[in-house]
Order: sequence, then structure tokens, then C-alpha cells
Amino acid sequence: MGNEETIKAALLQKFPQLEGKCEIIRQRRITLEVDRSRLIELLNFSCSELKFNILCTITGLDVGDDLQFIYHIANKEGIVMNVKTNAPKTDPVISTVLGIYNGATFYERELEDLLGAKVEGLPEGRHYPLPDNWPKGQYPLRKDWKPENINQQNKKEE
Amino acid sequence: MVIDKVVNWARIKSPWIIHFNTGACNACDIEILASLTPRYDLERFGILLRGTPRHADILVCSGPVTLQTKDRLIRIYEQMAEPKFVVAVGTCACSGGVFQGCYGVSGGIDSVIPVSAYIPGCPVRPEAIIDGVVKLLNSLKNK
Repeated sequence: MGNEETIKAALLQKFPQLEGKCEIIRQRRITLEVDRSRLIELLNFSCSELKFNILCTITGLDVGDDLQFIYHIANKEGIVMNVKTNAPKTDPVISTVLGIYNGATFYERELEDLLGAKVEGLPEGRHYPLPDNWPKGQYPLRKDWKPENINQQNKKEE
Repeated sequence: MVIDKVVNWARIKSPWIIHFNTGACNACDIEILASLTPRYDLERFGILLRGTPRHADILVCSGPVTLQTKDRLIRIYEQMAEPKFVVAVGTCACSGGVFQGCYGVSGGIDSVIPVSAYIPGCPVRPEAIIDGVVKLLNSLKNK
């Protein structure tokens, strides 16, 4: 567990507020929770200093009143760090990680489409992965969303 | 008319197909390919896989119609020359299967275009595909 401990120590030294929120869940897996205002700073540090320069994917979750985003970042040694951050559903704004990880466009567009997150700084684009004529304000991966919402609108169009 | 009979005979003896994945998990696609390869050998019925819908008589669809492929499926169907037939391969293509009512899925193939033959199975066995195709060809003989 040598390397994981070093990484955790380096993180805690730079971000003392992570104390108690960063844990090594098993070999080569680190999980930590960070406030969304410090997210970019933390990812920047992890990417440039700790060499976690691979973004595996971004997971989006509906956890009740909040939306949760998990950034799975990895380094060349195969250590994966899961960076969790929450945003309330009333104000689901997170900033883009495009400046750090160039390949994040589609992951973030998916968050916008399926969960209704607002990704600040993501360039305007088409729907992904939903079709272009998908109605506005319908986010199918939210827990309170029902398929009838869209079916009713389809029937109205017909 | 003699000429009609000859044309019908020719059609039944060389039904060229185009295969289109409307959102399948690839299991049915693999089985369709297996039935075209020498082990099951659909070619003995004159069936050839074509690369374009303009050359094909039968559209073989696998998978539920997703909202993304819906418009493309209609476009491919409209590009085919008459007479044209559609075969829905797999449970998902027949009815939507486990994806029925899903937010990104319109339903089975028949929710978008008319279907001539349904071949259920998850995934369908090559024997079932052969059976379905032969039944379709036999139904054409009577016309």
C-alpha cells in the first residue's frame, strides 16, 4: 500500500479540509469527497503534481436532494482515484474539467442530458446521447422522472 | 401472366438481404452472421448479404428501435426498391423486449415500419432464422 499512502499524504498536505473524507478503500483504489468549489483545484493538483492524468469516466448519480458526480481518474501505475462531489438539485452547477482533461466533453454532455446538470464552461453542442428532438427539461436518469413524461408529449405531437 | 411467374420465381430464388442493427446488443447480429456463413449456409436459398439497401429485397433488423436509429431506419427502408420485406430478428426487434418502455426506445420494429416476419429468441438460433426466412419465402410463392 506504499504508493497509495504517499498519494493520500500528499493530498492531505495540500488540502487539509479533506481530513476524514479521503480513504484508501483497497489496493489501488482511493476515494475522496470534495466540495464542488474546490473540485477544479483538486483535479488540477492531482493531474499535474500526482500524475493522475487519465480521466476514466465521470459517473453521475441522483442521491435524493443532491446530484453526485464521481470523477474516476487514474495514473499510469493503475491507481484509480474516485473524486466525489455533490451539487444540490436546485442549483446543479459544476464547472467543466475540459481545461484539465481534454476528453471530458462527452462525459459532461451526458451529465447535462441525462441528469440535468449544468456544466459551466462546456461549449454549446447537440444532444448526447439523447436524440436531437428530445424535449427540454426532461432528465431520464433522475429518480423522480417517469417514462410517461415523454410518452405524453410524443402523443401530443402525433 | 408467364412473365409475372418468372419474375416471382426469380425473386424467391435470390432474396438479397441488408442487415441493420437498430440498437441490438450484438448477440442477434452474431447469430445472423453465423447463419450466413458456410456452417448454416443461408446462401443455398439464394440469400446474399448486400452492402446497400438499394440492392436488397429483405431488410433484416435486429434489436429494439432506439430513438436515435428511428429516423435512419425509416430512411433505409425508403431507399429499398419494391417489393420489399422486413424481418425482425430477436425478441427485442419483435416487441421491444426488456427495453419496452425505456426512455430511449421507441419499441419493436413494427412501431416504425411494417414487418413481414417475426423471429423471436434471445438471441435467436441460426436454425430459427433459417426457419423464419424459409417461411417468408414460402408465403411469397403463393402470390
